[in-house]
Amino acid sequence: MADSSAPKPSSSVKLVLLGEAAVGKSSLVLRFVNDDFQPNKEPTIGAAFLTQKCQLPTRTIKFEIWDTAGQERFASLAPMYYRNAQAALVVYDITKESSLVKAKHWVAELQRQASPGIVIALVGNKLDLCEDDEEAAEEESSGASATAAADDEEGEESEAAAESTENNDEGNNSTARKVSLKEAKSYADEENLLFFETSAKSGHNVGEVFTAIANAIPETSLKGRNAGAAAGAGTQAALTGANENSRVNLNAASGDGGPKEGCAC
Amino acid sequence: MESLHGSDWDLVIAGTGLAPSLFALAVSRSGLRILHVDHHEYYGGDEAALSLSEAEAWAAAHSGDSKEDTSTSTAFAPRCFSHATVTRIDDGGEGANLPRRLGPQRAYSLALAPQIIYSRSNLVSALVSSHTHSQLEFQAVGSWFLASGSSSSPNLSRVPGGREDVFQDATLDLHAKRSLMKFLRFVGNYEEKENEWREWKDLPLPTALEQKFGLPPAFHGPLIALTLSASLPNDITAAEALPRVARHLRSIGIFGAGFAAVFPKFGGLAEVAQIACRACAVGGGVYVLGKGVSSVDETPGDDLTLQLSGGETVTTKRLVGSLGDLPLAVTNNTAWRTLVRGIYIVSGPLSPLFPSTSEGGVTPAGAVVVVPSTSEPAGPPIHILAHSSESGDCPSAQCVLYASTILSETTGSEDVDVDAMHRLDDAVALVLRSTLTTPTDGGESNAECSQLQVLWKLHYRHAVPQRQSSERHEGDGRILTLPHVSLDLALEDSVLGNVESVWAKAIEGEEQGRFLRFESRGGMGDDE
Repeated sequence: MADSSAPKPSSSVKLVLLGEAAVGKSSLVLRFVNDDFQPNKEPTIGAAFLTQKCQLPTRTIKFEIWDTAGQERFASLAPMYYRNAQAALVVYDITKESSLVKAKHWVAELQRQASPGIVIALVGNKLDLCEDDEEAAEEESSGASATAAADDEEGEESEAAAESTENNDEGNNSTARKVSLKEAKSYADEENLLFFETSAKSGHNVGEVFTAIANAIPETSLKGRNAGAAAGAGTQAALTGANENSRVNLNAASGDGGPKEGCAC
Repeated sequence: MESLHGSDWDLVIAGTGLAPSLFALAVSRSGLRILHVDHHEYYGGDEAALSLSEAEAWAAAHSGDSKEDTSTSTAFAPRCFSHATVTRIDDGGEGANLPRRLGPQRAYSLALAPQIIYSRSNLVSALVSSHTHSQLEFQAVGSWFLASGSSSSPNLSRVPGGREDVFQDATLDLHAKRSLMKFLRFVGNYEEKENEWREWKDLPLPTALEQKFGLPPAFHGPLIALTLSASLPNDITAAEALPRVARHLRSIGIFGAGFAAVFPKFGGLAEVAQIACRACAVGGGVYVLGKGVSSVDETPGDDLTLQLSGGETVTTKRLVGSLGDLPLAVTNNTAWRTLVRGIYIVSGPLSPLFPSTSEGGVTPAGAVVVVPSTSEPAGPPIHILAHSSESGDCPSAQCVLYASTILSETTGSEDVDVDAMHRLDDAVALVLRSTLTTPTDGGESNAECSQLQVLWKLHYRHAVPQRQSSERHEGDGRILTLPHVSLDLALEDSVLGNVESVWAKAIEGEEQGRFLRFESRGGMGDDE
């Protein structure tokens, strides 16, 4: 993130994370927010609401990131996660084919249920497990099968298991990949999604995902569905950061001091 | 999806309305194994906010009479909502002279039971102390208005919000100002003067204002409006009115100059319920929608055995839910209080309703309009909560008006409904016309305003039992119930109060005094 201290217009963007358990959703956010990686991260229970700013040349986007808190099991949390979200990060694990199926399911649900105009990014994570370059990835796209089968027996649920796979697999990288770049990319193009392959472990492409999302958020949605009431002033208001001027700051309560007016003379 | 069958829990919570959701928030750090279910397919229960298509499906499911219609919730208490009808006005063909259209159905978030939250409400401080407020976006309810007059000469007047407003109000003569100030001062610390008003506490408010403060009837309207009481003016006693006016006056200026109340963006209380559920999920609670508790086996000594509406059976040490979400026998002799509600989507920003309350302050996204009855004899007033598109309830350049009036007859004949619906329609039409004749700050063109019309409306009845015991199911304390949220237009502190008392029983003493007081979770967005 750049350290521009010049005051730029700033807007909040609600971003939700969706995807099968243990694909690395939280790790991606942790990398983005804290530039940190925990190899044996527990399934997410706990901190699930994080914020991080993304500096663009002309404006600052403050991401309010909603992690799914390990609630994938019954799918009933999803509606409250993606309600009113302006962006969604749908994550799959490139070493696990079923996770892309699940990702497609989330994309379909978002397209059906989420706010109109939501920006969706499809992200294939755990690129570090297959350190081949992208061309090589394409070549082996259909090949990976038998040798890596053992991977699937472990690590069904936990991130930790997936990471240990990586350690066992040092010399065997090209077979870890189960989802080809080409397949995922063409699906993303078809559905008009942003698309990246990332590694939360190495940090590869993580910042790029968020920057791309920030750039893709339409100006109109940054105005917070601003009323046409302001008509001509609307655009100007957005540029000067006045787009949030209907937001009441509860932290700004006038202390415990008495009421300002209306009572006692 | 995994099956819940045979699973065992410390606590099962039934219903995701505001009260059970706040309870879920309260126990979100308890470490208990929690299952939270709702028989609806959406969050929020009676306080839900729905998209346009969800609202239409909801209306179809609640079109009947609550007493007869048991089609979808046999196991549950009589339903609070009934008699729902949708009227879609914007179905004109292409090229019709309808410059304004309904937006995408998902651009709407229509609240079934909207309430404003006074700045001094205990919910606001609980949201702050539990670090949940940063996930909500609050907006201001700026002004109170009185709408009156006829369709040809409608009149919209802003209610003075406090002493400064009273001073500056040019329509008040010196005598009226003095009387008003006297009353406002009195209300300021009315608790301390109980010996003064005890003797006239049962007087109707208008009588008290006239006799005790020398206020002529012409000035009663604004003060009655501040009470937000659904009753006929002469049915409001002084004792009821004093705390209501006081809560308004004391809330002014807490979060910004000139406004007294707030509401959460994107559907109001439903958003609070969702944030609360989410906090419980973050703490490890499991959430399942579309599943209710359909029966409870309370064999003493064992854990409770719950039959869920999918057929699964689960066991739990304790069950907590709102009265409408638990399969408990309901006494039939309970009197119900009923509102007729109307939700109107309007094709214009109605900017005269949302004037800024202070220079450089927040732009209000909400307003309250009170339309007193003009019939003889006088009927109950109509209240309209107006939400601009800033509220996230509708697309830009539109507005949502939530109108309601109390149903004075409990007989429930269809005529009463139709009459109330017409009165709501008339009141909305009056407000729309009145905004056209009110000069605006911005240069809104009249041509734009002439297209002002209702695009879509939903009418329904909303009934809540008048007497609700929160400890109706005393038993051995394994089943704890939360009452329905009242029909009041402002959220009452008793909602959170009831949650706290149920919480105190459910957590058995170890965290007493720590109700909704949490440390910030690491990494949470508390910056700025």
